Amino acid sequence: MTDTAPGLPRLGITLFSLTLEQRAPGNDLAALIRQVADRDLGPGVEMVAFQSLRGWPRLDDEAVREVRGLIADSGLTPACLAVNLDLALHPGRLLTDDEAYDYVAVQMRSAAALGFPAVRVGAECGPAIMTRLLPLAEELGVKIGVEIHAPLTIDAPPVAELKELFTRLDTEWLGFIPDFSASMRAVPAAVDDAHRKAGIPPELTALTRRLWAEPGPTMAKFPELERRATELGASPAEIGNLKMIFTMHGRMDPERWADFFPHVIHVHGKFYGVFDGEDPSIDFPAIARVLREQGYTGFISSEYEAHAYTDRYSAFDQVRAQHDMLKRLLEDQPATVVSP
Amino acid sequence: MGPLDDQVVREDSLTATADGLDIAVYSHWYRALPLTSLAHIDLTVDGRRIDPDTLSVTANGHRYEFGELADRTDDFWFTTDPVVLHVPVSTASGRRHRVQLLLGLSIPYILTGPDRVPLLAPSSTDKTLTAA
Repeated sequence: MTDTAPGLPRLGITLFSLTLEQRAPGNDLAALIRQVADRDLGPGVEMVAFQSLRGWPRLDDEAVREVRGLIADSGLTPACLAVNLDLALHPGRLLTDDEAYDYVAVQMRSAAALGFPAVRVGAECGPAIMTRLLPLAEELGVKIGVEIHAPLTIDAPPVAELKELFTRLDTEWLGFIPDFSASMRAVPAAVDDAHRKAGIPPELTALTRRLWAEPGPTMAKFPELERRATELGASPAEIGNLKMIFTMHGRMDPERWADFFPHVIHVHGKFYGVFDGEDPSIDFPAIARVLREQGYTGFISSEYEAHAYTDRYSAFDQVRAQHDMLKRLLEDQPATVVSP
Repeated sequence: MGPLDDQVVREDSLTATADGLDIAVYSHWYRALPLTSLAHIDLTVDGRRIDPDTLSVTANGHRYEFGELADRTDDFWFTTDPVVLHVPVSTASGRRHRVQLLLGLSIPYILTGPDRVPLLAPSSTDKTLTAA
């Protein structure tokens, strides 16, 4: 497996990137892991447990042995396992705190059995549950990271609460998993493909792109989008799709990634397409610089997500292109000494 | 809206059986969901709306009445598996049917709005296909 130079962030992939490839006949977990290894898209490997592991969250011993064997034979390194807190599991009510704890705890035990050093949860796993999970994380040796994905930013109240918690507890076992989707500089071109196919008029997509690019907090732009799109004749379903542009593509200044530190346990390298060695929608040079300045040596899981919009590109080729770009950015920049 | 929506009902999804039309349905969501997430099955076959209460659904080898799914919190619809809708429509092998399906999946980990209700992820299909 090709690795970055010592002292730098390490590269990897989440199998979520291969969501469309997973649906192709013959592409079971073994086949996908083999292709990732053959194409040198590690060394880190992450997966969404509920996506990749049949029988999750309760794997029997044979399944655990099989998955561990697949990863070991591939030469890849388990980086992180994405788990879920399905708070709305029961129609009409949310899980109680006790149920929520149990729901994540079962998955953490399975993650530990599989050899993953960290799990990813969403921000719905708030400070109370995280605090209760800390002793289990220590016992199992499995870190818990809360993914900070668009539309969340470092300043969003749930994120600020978590930061306060991590600072107060001063533990290596709980932390953030920032996702590049929080800091985008343009709406990906792949959105246009999906909107065209769905029959959404181009002027509605263009309006949403314009509003997205204007200064100001994204959350405050929803009402204006709804009003102006309605004036242009958009249906409620179309407005829902337009709002997804605001929800999925955050506009946090990449420099603010420094504020997630020192509580970063893993990074999600979300992206929607690298073309000619550049990513038009995410400022990778800036983020790579911040990660280096902070001395981050954990994994960046490449997370190709344009498959939600288009099947025009191979996810394997896209992750290859992102790895090449990241390696160049991370290794070409001069080292920066971080003051203690 | 994306590529997975095109695969919810596939070319070979329809099968004629002794008691009606079977429709194999694939998830448009990337991860396995509990069967409780099968919140809305708004199905029209050949222009006739199918009352969900007359549907039964086979998932993971078990056949349930549609109304029973709301209790199946421990059973998951795996990413690459179909669920099969058993539809009380008379058919025969080789017959063509227009299938209009609005599938609404309740996403249990994405809560929206001040009331924290789960996101409802819709997928719309309108295909005319031949039953095997």
